[in-house]
Formats: sequence, structure tokens, C-alpha cells
Amino acid sequence: TSQSLSSVSVVSLHPLLLLFLCMCQASAAPICVHGQAGCHFLSLADLFDRVIQHSARMHSISSDLHSEFEQYVLPSRNHIGRINRHCHTATILTPNGKENAQRLAVSLTTLFNQLLFTIVLPLSASCSNLVCSLMVLPLSASCSNLVCSLMVLPLSMQHLGMISNSLSGLSSPEALDPSSDTSGESQAMSDHDLLYCFRRDSNKVQNYLKILKCRIVPENGC
Amino acid sequence: MMWRDVGVTLILSLILPVVAQGARHTPPGKPKLTSCRSPDKETFTCWWEAGSDGGRPTTYSLFYHKENSETVYECPDYHTAGANSCFFSKNETSIWVNYNITVVATNALGNNFSDPVDVDVVYIVQPHTPENVTVGVLEDEDGPFLRVSWEPPSKADTRSGWITLIYELRVKLEEAEEWEEHRAGQQKMFNIFSLHSGGVYMVQVRCKPDHGFWSEWSTASYVIVPDYIPRERSMWILIAVFSAFIFLILTWIITLNRSSVKHCLLPPVPGPKIKGFDQQLLKKGKPEEVFNSLVVQSFPPRSTDYEDLLVEYLEVYVNEKQELMPEGKDLQDVGCLKSKSQSDNDSGRGSCDSHTLLMEKCGGVESKDESSYEEPELLQGQAGSWERLERGDSQVVDTPDSSDGRVKTWPLVFSPSIHGSSDNHHYGTLEMPKQHSTSEITYSVPDHLFPTSTSFPHHHHPEYRDSLGEYSEYRCSRSPSTGVAYHWEARHPTQAHSNFNIRNLERQKEATGLGLPPSRSMEYVEVQKVNQENQLVLKPLSSHGRGPFQRQREMAEAGQYCNYREKEGAEAERYPTQQQGKTTKDGPVATQLQESTCLTTSGYVDTAPTMPTF
Repeated sequence: TSQSLSSVSVVSLHPLLLLFLCMCQASAAPICVHGQAGCHFLSLADLFDRVIQHSARMHSISSDLHSEFEQYVLPSRNHIGRINRHCHTATILTPNGKENAQRLAVSLTTLFNQLLFTIVLPLSASCSNLVCSLMVLPLSASCSNLVCSLMVLPLSMQHLGMISNSLSGLSSPEALDPSSDTSGESQAMSDHDLLYCFRRDSNKVQNYLKILKCRIVPENGC
Repeated sequence: MMWRDVGVTLILSLILPVVAQGARHTPPGKPKLTSCRSPDKETFTCWWEAGSDGGRPTTYSLFYHKENSETVYECPDYHTAGANSCFFSKNETSIWVNYNITVVATNALGNNFSDPVDVDVVYIVQPHTPENVTVGVLEDEDGPFLRVSWEPPSKADTRSGWITLIYELRVKLEEAEEWEEHRAGQQKMFNIFSLHSGGVYMVQVRCKPDHGFWSEWSTASYVIVPDYIPRERSMWILIAVFSAFIFLILTWIITLNRSSVKHCLLPPVPGPKIKGFDQQLLKKGKPEEVFNSLVVQSFPPRSTDYEDLLVEYLEVYVNEKQELMPEGKDLQDVGCLKSKSQSDNDSGRGSCDSHTLLMEKCGGVESKDESSYEEPELLQGQAGSWERLERGDSQVVDTPDSSDGRVKTWPLVFSPSIHGSSDNHHYGTLEMPKQHSTSEITYSVPDHLFPTSTSFPHHHHPEYRDSLGEYSEYRCSRSPSTGVAYHWEARHPTQAHSNFNIRNLERQKEATGLGLPPSRSMEYVEVQKVNQENQLVLKPLSSHGRGPFQRQREMAEAGQYCNYREKEGAEAERYPTQQQGKTTKDGPVATQLQESTCLTTSGYVDTAPTMPTF
């Protein structure tokens, strides 16, 4: 699936969303949004909780991977390169503070951009290191879970009338296209950096989701 | 030479301190960043520790730069967080950005850089302790429980979801050593059950962000648990009730099988082995048959030894003016025995202290109707009064003024094997105590007459019967001088006058007066009363077809007899008149008494089947 994803250029969100939706429908248990018969209906709060749980798991996996990578693989490496680390997702404008996050979290598009970039790109990026390749494999499973959960979220919100049908405010597709990245450094991103960036991005996703949840469904835990 | 050495030493000793002092000034030692912490994921603080200062005043400065940026900034605030610290305010703090921080120590001689440290604020969050920790005791059907509630630290913004905190609390009894820790997740309230009644508990709470460090424990909150009955005690109550129920069932079962249990636990005391005695027959109320069956030909047993029975010998002087009880319907049946000898050495007196009397006098054995034994119940404990053993007693004159009642004493030794012989010379004599009074018919029943330990079987008299099936009674008054306590009458230990119906005379030495000199012919006399002067009032009894002398046979073997003399009515007048005039029967009595004989005592105390009740 990673190969298929890499070949698809992110032009618009909708087709990708549909693609993921097809993937999710085929693999995971059906989750209804419209309350159709024969499927399990979840409330919005439950949906948010489920998504947050998936993101938390993904973050824990990535941080474990990163720490193990540093412990077993990195000691022999040079630490100097760490200062110039660039995450592939650095171009995405994401809030770096609480106020910014609260302001920008309202926009789901930003969130989705971040999420997709976080999920898709690591899967598509080439792992030069065999260890990295082996480590990334479990990520894909949790990523698919997260993606599937995330796919339902906007649909339910759209059903509830919280968001408009069209997703606007997308960032430039070229910006999302890894192949169009002019820095040229994404290819050279080391495996260590990849894991580092992935850990950070998953943390971001989790935090954004929590902010969004407390804003939309603030009953419990906020 | 020596001078030069001293001079060099002096110069060196002067120069060296100066040189050394100058050597202490060095560039500062290397500082070290100890920790950076953020309480709210919006600001953070870094602390360092200084190395050696090199002898010069040293200043420390902190520099940092963010990732992917070459711009180096200095610490904006050195004072807010205290010494050797740098505080980053909200404007300078960026989340998800790597900070590269370095501390520089500078003095006049140089500077020294610390090792750089990479910090991402997200991973160094350590919140403050939870606030408003409250502990309360609430009641439940199972007992009280603790409810602990708290609030997140005020600086951490959990409301917007920026920080997600999980909590942990720990509890212990005040005197305990180990804490009991509980994870509370994201909730702000927790219940603790299974408390010790009356104990004092300490509770502490702390919190941690999802990726960060645990806070410090909050200050301990104390709570006292009130006393209550724990559930286990109610279980014990249930067990007790159940055991009581089982016990009741067992009791019921035992009650149903009462007789067999009783037979098992309390084996019946063997009753008297009276050969031929039929208790059932007696209960039917036919004492004649009962007594008849008791007649044993082998009486008296000459070989038995009844040490604890006394043989009392009475010498009785019969007063023809004795009053008889109005009830004496049996009086007619009473046979009088005529004494064979009208006189003896103790003429006119009943002196029972002489052994020789026994041989000379004939004992008057009074026999009674069995029907007279139909009132055993009279014996039952009436305070201070002798019961009438039999109906025959009713014939007896009223109790002397000094005595509470008449006591019938059954023969202390009663041998069922006593059987009447043709010998009529049965007597019994009451052995008088040495100090018996000298009243005319004064006799005292020595205390050895009655065994101290046995309860006199008043009520057992139905079971007594001599070989003839007859009972002999006599009354013996106890002279006050003797002061004898008749133990068998528990209530009259100091009875001045006690009327006893001594069934048989005991042998003086041997307990039972089983053997009677068979060579005397005697008459049966009933001692009816004892007057004030300790005079025995006798009345002869008539036998009913039974050999009145069979009784005498009983006494035959008794070594002693009680001689009493029957006097004509004239002599009877010597006795003080009875209180109640019962002269109706005096006549025949008096007549009968002329043949008074000694009484014999024989018999034994039968304590079976029941204990005497007096």
C-alpha cells in the first residue's frame, strides 16, 4: 500500500479521503456515520475518544522506536547532525503554542493536512536502513487504524453540520507533494531523523485532537 | 653553607605563599546544567550548578538557540526562578521545538562552557501538585468508605485539552509503614473501601502529564474513620444464629429420646434388693400383698453386719391414759402386746440403757397395718415438723408440746431377709444413752441410733417391712440432756423432744438389728408420743394375723432389747396427760399396752429410690 500511496499525488483531499475510506472499509469494522442499519453507531464523543486512543498508541510506538534507535543504533553515529534536522513536515504551518493551537485547531483542514502529511510521507519515504524499514512496519498498522478513525471523524462532523461539505483552506498540493520538495533534503533524511520527526508529529496530532475534542465535546476529561 | 640554605629556605617561605596565592586564580570550572522543567507546557526553567569558581568572582550566562536556526539568544530572566536559573517566559517558549542550551561560566581569567543540552518543552513537563485535596467519610450498606477529591494544579490548563493529566493517590493508616497506591486515571475523585474502624488515615495525591514527570505528593490529608461493625462481624452473627438453630434441633431430638439419653447418661441407681419386693404392687396400693411377698424365711441373717445402724433399746412404760389420735382407725387394728414380764429391775420405767434389759424384757414390736403406710407423703418436708409416717401415726397422740412433731423412724437396719420365726421372743431394745434422763419413761435415743449420713426414710416406710410384713413403730423421745441431734431429721437438730418411730431397734454394736433373740415373746407396742418429761407413751399394736412375734424374731438376734413395761392404766396415769384428749382409744390402748413389750428395732435405711426430702 505504501507503494500505491507514493505514486498518488496529493491533488485534492477528496480523492485521497475517498481512497482511505475505501481502504478502511475493507479492513476495519464498519463504522456508520449516518446511523445505517446493521452497523455500530458511535457518538461524536466516542469517536473522538477512539481517535485519540489511536493517536496515543501511535505516539507511544514512535517514541519507543526512537529511543531504541538512539540506544542501539545511534551511539556510533555523530550527534552533530542533529542541530540541522529538518522534518519533512516543517513546511506545514502548525501551531507551536497553545494559543496558536487553539486558534488554528478550529480549522480541520490544517489538522488533516498535518495528519496526512504525518502519516503518508513516512510510509512513502524510503528507508535506507534495514532497521528503519523493519521498524516502520508496525507503524503502518497503527497508522491505518488512525487514518481510518480519522476518516470517519470529519464525515460525522459534516453529518452533524459542524463543517461544510467542501474542505477549504487547503495548503498548496505542491507543498504536500514530497516529490516537489525543493529542499532536496527529504531524501537525505536519515532514519533517525525520520523517527524523530515521526514521534514529534504524532505528539502534535494527539494534542490537536485533544484540543479539538475539548472544544467540540467537552463533557469529560477536559 | 648552612647560611645559604637557611636563606634559601627563608626566601622560599616568603615567596611561595605569594606565588601560591596567585596560582589560585584560574578560569572557572565547568558548569553543568542540572535540569529544565516546565510546569504548564507554556514556560520552562533551567537550572545549572557551578563548577569551581577559580578564586575569582564568576558570572554565569546561558545561551540557547532553536533548532534549524543559528541565532543564539541569551537567557531572558535570571532571577525569577532563583539563583543559577534561567526562566523562559511564554513568548520565548515554543513547543515542539528543540532548544539547544549552554551555560557559560566567566571570570577574570577566562570562561568555561558547559555541555549543551537539547530540550523539547513537551517532554520536560512536570506539573505542580494537585490542589484542594479533600477527604470525606461516606456511608454505604457495607460500611463507611473514603471519598478523596482534588483539583488539577492551577497552572496546568486541562480545560482546553492542552495538557492531559493522570492522577495517582496513596493511602495509609497513620501508624502503618507502607503506602497503598492507586491510579486514578484522569478522574478527579476516588473511593477507598475496606477501612479499619476507628482508624486515622493519611491521603496524598500527585499528577503527571501523558508525557512528562510526576509531580510532588500533595500535603497529607488526615481523616478519622468512625467506628462501625464490620461486615465480618455480621457474618459471625449469622454463624451464631445458625449454631443456635442446630443446637435447638439437637435439644429437641434429645428431648424426644429423653428416656434413653437419661438411661445412658445417668444410669439408675440400683434399688433395694429386697427379695420378693414388688414395687409395682405397692404402687397399686396394696401393701398387704407387698409385705406378704417380702416375707422371707431366712430371716434373720445372722451373718450380716450393719455397722452403721444402731440398735436402740427402749424401755417403755405404757400409760393407759395415752391419748390417741382421732384418726386412729387403725387403732383397732393395732395389736397390743402384752409384756411377758411385768416387772423387772427397772420397774415402771423405760430404761433402755441396759443391755440386760434386752434379755429380760420383751421388745414390743409394733406392727402396723400396711394400710398405715399409705401416707408417705406426710413425711415430705414440712418445716419443722415431723411428718407422720403413716396413718398409724395419726393414732398417736399429738405431739408433745416440746416436739414439733412425731418422727417415725424406720428401723435403721432392715433386713429383708428377716423372716419371722416362730419364736416370739423378739424384742428390740433401745439402748439408752448413758445419760438418759431418769424420768419415768424417759429414754433417749442415742444419736447413734440414727445414722448421720442417711436420711431417714420416712417415706420409705412403705418399703420397709419386716419379715412379717409388718412395721413396728415406736417413738422415742429424746431427752434433752442428751442433746442428740438426729440427723435424719435435718430440721430438728436440737429437738428437745423428738418422737421417733423407731421401727427396729438397732443392735448396739452392729448396725442392723437383724438378729433378734428368738427366745422372747413380745408384744408390739407403738410409741405414740413422748410427753414433756421425756416419757414415752406407748400403745400396743395388734397384729393382723401375722405373727406378732415374728417381729420379735427379728429382735431375737439383736443383742439388746428395749424393755418397756406396760402398766395398767394406773401407771399410765403417771404420764402427763396429752394435750389433746384422745381418750377414746386410750382404753383399748391401755389395755393393750399392758402387754407392752420391748420394741425392737431392726431394719435399715433404704435410700432408694429417692432421697428423702426433709
